[in-house]
Amino acid sequence: MTGVVRAHGRGTVKLIFAATFLVTAFLILTPLASLLYGSFRSAGPGEPSVFTWRNWTDLGSAAIANTLVTTCFISAVTAVLSTAGGAALAWLIYRTDFRFKRSTVAAVGLSFFFPGFILAMAWVILGSPGGIFNDVLEELFGIEGFKFDVYSISGIIWIQILHIIPFAFFTLRGPLIAMDSSLEEAAYASGASPWQVVRRVTVPLMLFPMLSSLLLCFVLSVEQFAIPAMVGIPGHVNTLATELYLLTNFSPPNTGLAAAVGLSMSAVTGLTIFAQRRVVAKRGAPTVSGKGYRVRPLALGKWRWAAQAVALFYILMSFIIPTLALIYTSAIKFFVANPMEASYTWRNYLQIWNSPGTMRAFWNTIVVAGGGALLGLILGTLIAYSTHRLKPRGHRALDVLACLPFGIPGIVIGLGFLWSYVYLPIYGTLWVLVFCYMARFLPYATETIGAQIVQFDKVLEEAAWASGANRVASFRRIVLPLLRPALQSGYFLLFIAYFREIAAAALIYTASTQVLSISIWAFFENANWGVASALSIVTTIITVALMAAVARASLRV
Amino acid sequence: MSIIVRDLVKRYGDKTIIDGISFEIAQGELVSLLGPSGCGKTTTLRCIAGLETPEAGFIAIDDMVVFDSQAGIAVEPYHRDIGMVFQSYAIWPHLTVFENVAFPLRIRRRPNTEVETRVTKALAMVGLSAFRDRSSQQLSGGQQQRVAVARAIVHAPAVLLFDEPLSNLDAKLRDQTRAEIRKLQRELNVATVYVTHDQAEALSLSDRILVMRDGVIRQQGTPEAVYGTPLDAFVADVVGPANFLPVTVVGAASGGVEATLAGGEHVLAAFGPTTPGPANAMIRPDRLVLGAVPGANQLHGRIRQRLYLGGHFEYLVAVGSASLRVLSSAMAAEGDSVTLSFTAADCIILATDTQETSSWA
Repeated sequence: MTGVVRAHGRGTVKLIFAATFLVTAFLILTPLASLLYGSFRSAGPGEPSVFTWRNWTDLGSAAIANTLVTTCFISAVTAVLSTAGGAALAWLIYRTDFRFKRSTVAAVGLSFFFPGFILAMAWVILGSPGGIFNDVLEELFGIEGFKFDVYSISGIIWIQILHIIPFAFFTLRGPLIAMDSSLEEAAYASGASPWQVVRRVTVPLMLFPMLSSLLLCFVLSVEQFAIPAMVGIPGHVNTLATELYLLTNFSPPNTGLAAAVGLSMSAVTGLTIFAQRRVVAKRGAPTVSGKGYRVRPLALGKWRWAAQAVALFYILMSFIIPTLALIYTSAIKFFVANPMEASYTWRNYLQIWNSPGTMRAFWNTIVVAGGGALLGLILGTLIAYSTHRLKPRGHRALDVLACLPFGIPGIVIGLGFLWSYVYLPIYGTLWVLVFCYMARFLPYATETIGAQIVQFDKVLEEAAWASGANRVASFRRIVLPLLRPALQSGYFLLFIAYFREIAAAALIYTASTQVLSISIWAFFENANWGVASALSIVTTIITVALMAAVARASLRV
Repeated sequence: MSIIVRDLVKRYGDKTIIDGISFEIAQGELVSLLGPSGCGKTTTLRCIAGLETPEAGFIAIDDMVVFDSQAGIAVEPYHRDIGMVFQSYAIWPHLTVFENVAFPLRIRRRPNTEVETRVTKALAMVGLSAFRDRSSQQLSGGQQQRVAVARAIVHAPAVLLFDEPLSNLDAKLRDQTRAEIRKLQRELNVATVYVTHDQAEALSLSDRILVMRDGVIRQQGTPEAVYGTPLDAFVADVVGPANFLPVTVVGAASGGVEATLAGGEHVLAAFGPTTPGPANAMIRPDRLVLGAVPGANQLHGRIRQRLYLGGHFEYLVAVGSASLRVLSSAMAAEGDSVTLSFTAADCIILATDTQETSSWA
């Protein structure tokens, strides 16, 4: 470039980019750098400590190695079964004469937004040794020999599959819908039978999206904290995420080893995400056609009822029965499995209202989710606009920074802030949670906004400049209005994510910064299932209402 | 001069898009930049608008220096007194027709009454008065194009810039809009740069045409001059359909240049270099007459293909090893042996190497 001086306007833009870059670097690099530092210290944050290799050598101990194997086993099984389930569901809905397609998609959407920790809690109520299912088995059917036990590896896998199938479904249905239907029609025209088309055309074309989904499900499972914490810890089954939590929260705490565990965990998830991005870059989505022709739905014949039954079973297990169990538990005085013998009450809901601690958690959650999501959205918008449009020097580095949280588990980011915040003037304030969530969910914002930015032609902005609007004016009058749909759905997405986050909060909350998810967990841990269930129901209603708002906002466009 | 461009250079990486071009445009003049895609015409326009920053050169708009690499001046597009019509129109989907057109005035903080009168006038000029409150998403391509023109002229800029404004319209609408743009530009009497790859547009609209290739101006002049006396085969081909016949120049003769074909026939051309040696004779397809015309150049060939175009035919005639396109309303059948005639005035000798244009008849 020549040494040309721009007359006006560039200065402001440079300043905004520099500020965006610094804030992003602070949010993402602070926890990572603190973890790296912490993994070489002999004692926890804020305590006198010396340099040591011990945390890294301790990684090789039998206990940690065992946890690593357990985590990988659970995650691999979860990923394979979730992807298979999601793919089967997507294929049934978009390629066959499966009935009640719209209601099924809506129900899967509800499961998608059903928080993992609430699902896990409901399954403890249902499937623990003293839970509803076992009572039903014993009292109604008199079966003594067999007992459900959700406090186990298979229990963790079961709940995680229920939780992750919607994700696989929603990531796979896009490529399936977008797939050029003439590819399948050409196979029919060549004389292939429906099953041959599936085997020789549909599945091979969906191979890369399915591989991508498999890797993402694996990452989701590795970083899953709430489910293994609620059903794994009581059953003495530890994953890396719960191990990290136990190392930090139970005496004697070993936050240094936790830091090393967290970094290793991030290496696993980060490398998997990297592999997934390579898969997408190599053979992202199958060929997209502009034509909206649908392939003639395949007649399932006598198999249709089996397919309907399996889909209904999934919806019952992932959303309806857990919700009913929570509603029931929230409305009774003492836990009994048989609804006929229960005495009903409103006191659990009243207790929420009358407990200053819970109301404070409510308020904290609203502040963090409402205000924090706005900050996260503003940062995400500035990043997406910089990396997709302005592209100044350093925009690639910014892009990489903003993508990093994809590969870092929530509990690890929480631990990173635990290691850093005692040195920052935000200790004991809600800012810790806000910063932590902003870092953790930054990719949600940048991906949503970025997808919309690349949708509209740069020439719309150039036309504004040619009409005399400077960069700030054209951003305000042209870019922001055009981004409005993405800004709306991005805000709701962040709000819901911040609202129900538990993994990142579990390590860094204090008495004054407690949030709803933590309150629910605390009530549950204290065996106060009634209040925990009541609070879960309230949280679920809020989440579902917001999800409906998102759906309506995105439909309007 | 309303626009002055001097020694403009633009590179993308190590690829030179504009290689030191210079030209000036007077007030009220409409100048077309004509050339195939990749010749640098749109990049030149975007440099004038300030949407691209050149590596070197000088640009002034209406006596204001907006770019000068030596003085370190690069004025932002929004501080240049321009109106621009984009190829894709760039109509903002979230604004009404009225607000799209009003935008340049709103940005300049003009009072509402002035906005009202000027937008109304601009919409009337492009024939969209009835559409002022429409959402811009309810417009056809032709209507969007008109909104784009109204938006470009509403603030009476010193310079109008058009980037292939008609390329997304269908043929019929294109002809009509072309005439309207010319009329509008005459009324506004504003310096205009018009980028196009369509020779018919350039010929019919322009006061002057700049033919570009590989980032340099190959020839400039009035439409008649560029069409009638192209300097080389490239220009001849860009400004209209052309036949090229390989010939050997014999030398100057009375009434022009004399040359011979490979088959030995003699050809007299009105213009061209007289240096003896291989060259090309250029004849437009509509200037070739099917049949013998006394006193004119004559060629003998065989009709290879006939296409009916409604009203006339396009013949592909093999003459020696060359094949010529002929537009004619005369009837002939494929396989017929024919004589083709053309006058010396309709034939130009073009050097095979464009450097050898030194001596002219």
